[in-house]
Amino acid sequence: MSAFIGGKNLGLTIVLGVVAVLIALPFIGDNYLVRLATFLCLFSALALGWNFIGGYAGYPSFATAAFYGLGAYVGALLQNAGTPMPLAWLGAGLGCAIFAAALGPTLLRLKGHYFAVGSIAIVEIMRLLASIFADFTGGGMGLNVPILRGGPDFAGMVFLYAMLAVAAAAFLTTLAVDRGRLGFGLRCIQQNEDAANMLGVDVNAYKTAAFVLSAIFCGLAGAIYASWVAYIDPTDVFSILLTLKVPVMVLLGGAGGAYGPLVGVVAFMAMEELIWSNFLELHHGVLGVIIVILVFFLPGGLLKLRWPQILGRFRAGGDAKSEAKAAAE
Amino acid sequence: MQLRLRKHWSRLACAAAVVGAMGAGAPQALADVIKIGAPLALTGGLADEGKKQKIAYDMWLERVNAAGGIKVGDTMMPVELVVYDYQTDGKRAGQLTEKLITSDKVNFITAPFGSGHTKIAAGVAERYGVPIMASVASSESVYDQGFQNLFGTLAPNTGLTDNMLKLFKAKMPDTKTVAVLGREDVFPNAMAKALVEGAPNFGYSVVYDQRYSVGTLDHSATLSAIKAANADWIYVTGYTQDLILLRKQMADLGLTAKIVTMITGPAYKEFVDALGPLADGVNSASWWHHATTYQSSDVFGSTKAFYDAFVAREGSDPDYVHASSAAALVALQAAIENAGSIDPDKVRAALRDVSITTFYGPIDFGANGMNGGRDLPIIQVQDGTVVVLFPEAIKQAELKAF
Repeated sequence: MSAFIGGKNLGLTIVLGVVAVLIALPFIGDNYLVRLATFLCLFSALALGWNFIGGYAGYPSFATAAFYGLGAYVGALLQNAGTPMPLAWLGAGLGCAIFAAALGPTLLRLKGHYFAVGSIAIVEIMRLLASIFADFTGGGMGLNVPILRGGPDFAGMVFLYAMLAVAAAAFLTTLAVDRGRLGFGLRCIQQNEDAANMLGVDVNAYKTAAFVLSAIFCGLAGAIYASWVAYIDPTDVFSILLTLKVPVMVLLGGAGGAYGPLVGVVAFMAMEELIWSNFLELHHGVLGVIIVILVFFLPGGLLKLRWPQILGRFRAGGDAKSEAKAAAE
Repeated sequence: MQLRLRKHWSRLACAAAVVGAMGAGAPQALADVIKIGAPLALTGGLADEGKKQKIAYDMWLERVNAAGGIKVGDTMMPVELVVYDYQTDGKRAGQLTEKLITSDKVNFITAPFGSGHTKIAAGVAERYGVPIMASVASSESVYDQGFQNLFGTLAPNTGLTDNMLKLFKAKMPDTKTVAVLGREDVFPNAMAKALVEGAPNFGYSVVYDQRYSVGTLDHSATLSAIKAANADWIYVTGYTQDLILLRKQMADLGLTAKIVTMITGPAYKEFVDALGPLADGVNSASWWHHATTYQSSDVFGSTKAFYDAFVAREGSDPDYVHASSAAALVALQAAIENAGSIDPDKVRAALRDVSITTFYGPIDFGANGMNGGRDLPIIQVQDGTVVVLFPEAIKQAELKAF
């Protein structure tokens, strides 16, 4: 896995610990913390979803927001048609899976930059479609979703647990894929697609499977988001910024494993909350700088750094400084 | 190594706990202050508009606190404004509204700019039962969800277009056809629809009716189609940047008509400044103009006093965003004074009963929380300045052909 998570058990223990805290949060934290935690789970689900296609198969997909937005719209429309909320969410996941399965075989024939451009175009096309079919989607007027009754505490808890469930499902699926045939095949594709094809990996089926898995979790997260905010519009859910943020998060943590995306989401959101509030005018610039730093200095993400050595040096440096200070005094 | 790591983690955990405790302790400040939360777009696409709201809020706040605060029962309570920048990001608007309510424990909320973001913030406020004052959301679709806590100071859109149709038909009876182009977005779309629906009632036929999507930069195909339709009146809706772009591309293509309306371009100083001579002849409706002459008993006193104070402070003319934003807080203040309490249920009930004349005009919230209709001004750019064409009482000039 990595040098830092010394063995899978430590990683799993930390994840389980965080999950336990998240489950307890509605009872111990205030609603703002619950909302932050819900965003944490939302982005974890999106990052783990992206990781199937972007991390394992190595296809630089920017279609996250397309699935997320499609899920939000399908979920919202189903709910407005009278479908109970949880069924509407499942319907959105299914809808996104079908969409990705239909789209995958053609889109995934593109490679590298061409695939990246093609996938980002999907987001734009979806946004335009949602704007144009105003009679159906509400167009630019947006779409109302029935607001969940029962007060803010109840709503906060429901949406946190729902998002947590999606993130947990994405995590467990990742573990299964990581250890299974699909993960092996996808890694082969990432390393050399032609060679994998020659050796009998059905590359189109494998890539489409990864794309579909990616779509399901993004779609579920989008549908829950729609019920949560009770109002969606095309520019909000088919957001280019969202589609860029998610890969950055995964790359920050380390792509192509189960833990990297989670580390990336936590690190990114911590930066956003703490540092970005100090860079009011420049926060998009800061995002750009992070991307550049990632490409040049952290190609493997935070998890691939040799943490024991870095911490050791840091500690040695700190001790030396304090000793020097003590000597000076 | 395991041990070392654990030690490190425990340090981190301690640090996190300390930060958490500080965060939880800080907001419990003075109990006898009225806190109003304002999620504003101070950066990002709507930054210009967000800053306008901020100026208006500050002007109101300075006057209220100079007078000792708001009279609640027998005591004067000073007001504190808690502002956050939501970076023109809808998700963040909802998140910060929740933070304002739960962490900062504000008593009341003001909504962000525009119908869409207002709706997101209002959804959060509704869950908590906190009254939210919307100063810049005029689409009825924002108020159609049955929210009990949402109150808006702008009047419904349809009032804007009917007066316009009536006036133009009276002044230029030979105009018969209108081409409509609207931005696919909550408010501009509603304005385009309102005109299309109202036009036949006043003897206009709609010869072109299309929407352009958000972020469109090249309008040449649409504008060529409008040119082919050869309408007497071109009616375009959008936000300031769209309209500036559209007007420039109209000039490039040599597209013109007897009447050119751009909703709500001339209502913004930026529109006139950016276009210069190209802005001449463009007309619009607006919710407010500083030429109106209301006398009031609020902190500003009259439209003129507000105008003078604004010009002295900012060195430029206020537009309807400034006035409506300040008026939203004036209405909230009146409701708190009438209720004699800052209890959200009592203030909400008082807001329903508010019926006052402010420097901005009358405020009387209807059943859906929206301010009642009235004669809204129609304005036109003539020789570089914005003049009022309607209503008669404050008319400054006659309609000029484009």
